[in-house]
Amino acid sequence: MSEIIMRVENLTKKFPVSGGKFLTACDNISFDVRKGETVGIVGESGCGKTTLLKSIMNMQRPTSGKIIFHGEDITKLTGEAKRQNYRHIQMVFQDPTAAFNPKMKIRDIICEPLINFDLISSREVDSKARELLTQVELPADFVDRYPNNMSGGQRQRVAIARALALEPEIIACDEATSALDVSVQDTIIKLLVKLQREKGITYIFICHDMALVSLFSHRIAVMYLGNMMEKIDGDKLDSAKHPYTKALLKAVFSTDQEKNQYIGILPGEIPSPLDIPTGCPFQNRCEYCQDLCKQKKPDLREVEPNHFVACHYKCN
Amino acid sequence: MLLDVKNLAVSYGKNPKPTIEGVTFDLDDGEILAIVGESGSGKTTVIRAILNVLPGGGHVSSGEMTFDGQNLLTLDEKGWRNLRGEKISMIFQDSGNMMNPVHTIGKQFVEYIRVHSDLDKKSAWEMAIDKLELMNLPNPETILNSYTFELSGGMRQRVGIAMAITFQPKLLLADEPTSALDVTTQAQIVGELMFITRGANASMIIVTHNLGVASYISDKLIVMSGGKVVESGKTQEIIQNPQHEYTKTLLASVPEIGGRRYV
Repeated sequence: MSEIIMRVENLTKKFPVSGGKFLTACDNISFDVRKGETVGIVGESGCGKTTLLKSIMNMQRPTSGKIIFHGEDITKLTGEAKRQNYRHIQMVFQDPTAAFNPKMKIRDIICEPLINFDLISSREVDSKARELLTQVELPADFVDRYPNNMSGGQRQRVAIARALALEPEIIACDEATSALDVSVQDTIIKLLVKLQREKGITYIFICHDMALVSLFSHRIAVMYLGNMMEKIDGDKLDSAKHPYTKALLKAVFSTDQEKNQYIGILPGEIPSPLDIPTGCPFQNRCEYCQDLCKQKKPDLREVEPNHFVACHYKCN
Repeated sequence: MLLDVKNLAVSYGKNPKPTIEGVTFDLDDGEILAIVGESGSGKTTVIRAILNVLPGGGHVSSGEMTFDGQNLLTLDEKGWRNLRGEKISMIFQDSGNMMNPVHTIGKQFVEYIRVHSDLDKKSAWEMAIDKLELMNLPNPETILNSYTFELSGGMRQRVGIAMAITFQPKLLLADEPTSALDVTTQAQIVGELMFITRGANASMIIVTHNLGVASYISDKLIVMSGGKVVESGKTQEIIQNPQHEYTKTLLASVPEIGGRRYV
């Protein structure tokens, strides 16, 4: 297994809301990110995936906890040190249309990060942009285009090129393929994998498509209401133990009608994050819920090597 | 035969090149048809043409459409009013967007019922509650007194479906009804849609880009690309043995649990 390049330790993020209450978006999240691997983070909307990503990107300061990167806690960084840290962690957004300034040409979009960090002179912009476009398998002539002259898949490639410009160690993808058609999604994922193999890039990949995450991630973290429910290797997802992970897997429709026989419906809705029950957050939708689950919140425990589950029922 | 569409072509504005052309299919009572394809392939245009609600200067430029023995292309506005909502109704991608955010859901639901029937306010309100209960919505009274933005995406979608099935239409048109939802909610809604259409022996045309959903729910399938039908037939036959190159590519790029891993 490769070296750990980032370590998230007991990360908690609370947002104050009216009435002196707090909304806990991330509750005591810990995980490791290894070099050249993909960590997939899945969960329903409102489970804290994006809050977690924003903390990793250092766009907001967590309430407590640490993010260790390059041997230091990046949540404590300020000023120029914080700015320099952005070089190593870049981001690809969900909507490639909204991620660009429509009045900038592709050349300037791609090279803006390099200019910001004074890494190239304006004379080098054109050749650098062409080089990056070639890496993401787009024609180099696209440097003269504007974002609105391109298709969604092409724009997402430009977004990837921009993220690559600073040669980051980690690229965080927030639902980077959700807005794309499946065949385009397929080509974008293949491109990401190719870049990962060539450059050893690490991805933190947020996604709500269980099937895609299972095929693309080395490690998968399942979140529910701000809590980490299960951590498992991507190729071992079949042996997931947590009732919530199982419910997510059972809710995925397949083109294979035989697999569709096992479609299971998880009843109820995700509770409001302002009103998380004491005990296990998943208790009101879980078929195995016992008295203990209503009183005590289960800890994340290692049930097999590299497989962590937070469930009273499944750990005993 | 409930719906018969022959060689349908739709153009927008003065553009001589039709957006969709040569679309032919038929639908019997109780059948579910799925239309799949990528964005811009004309899926939504097809079902909007059936209900004559094409946006921005869209019009049927050639072809035939018959619903329940009635020629849809010669209907006048009054004929459409009798058809829409009562015999054919539509479910949108986000039902919250089709409702007015400054009025309560109850007010709009009651108004909708009273436009299409002679019921007084009180019985219309009760009818609305009945329909919401049918969609497994808890506390229907509270929902009727809420505004759209107070409900979750899944609840809004259930309200939209409850409204669409109020008059037990023979044909439901669903435009990406689950695309904006989480997987668990998607599974719930797809199950409910299937239960309702099968239970009432109604027919449904569902437009989706999720081939898994299409495979699960539909009897017949149409694959569209660039405004044309590239393949059509029985769903399972197409999925197990696709003939057209485009269908093959599409099916090959669907991620499946336990499928070929990228890494």
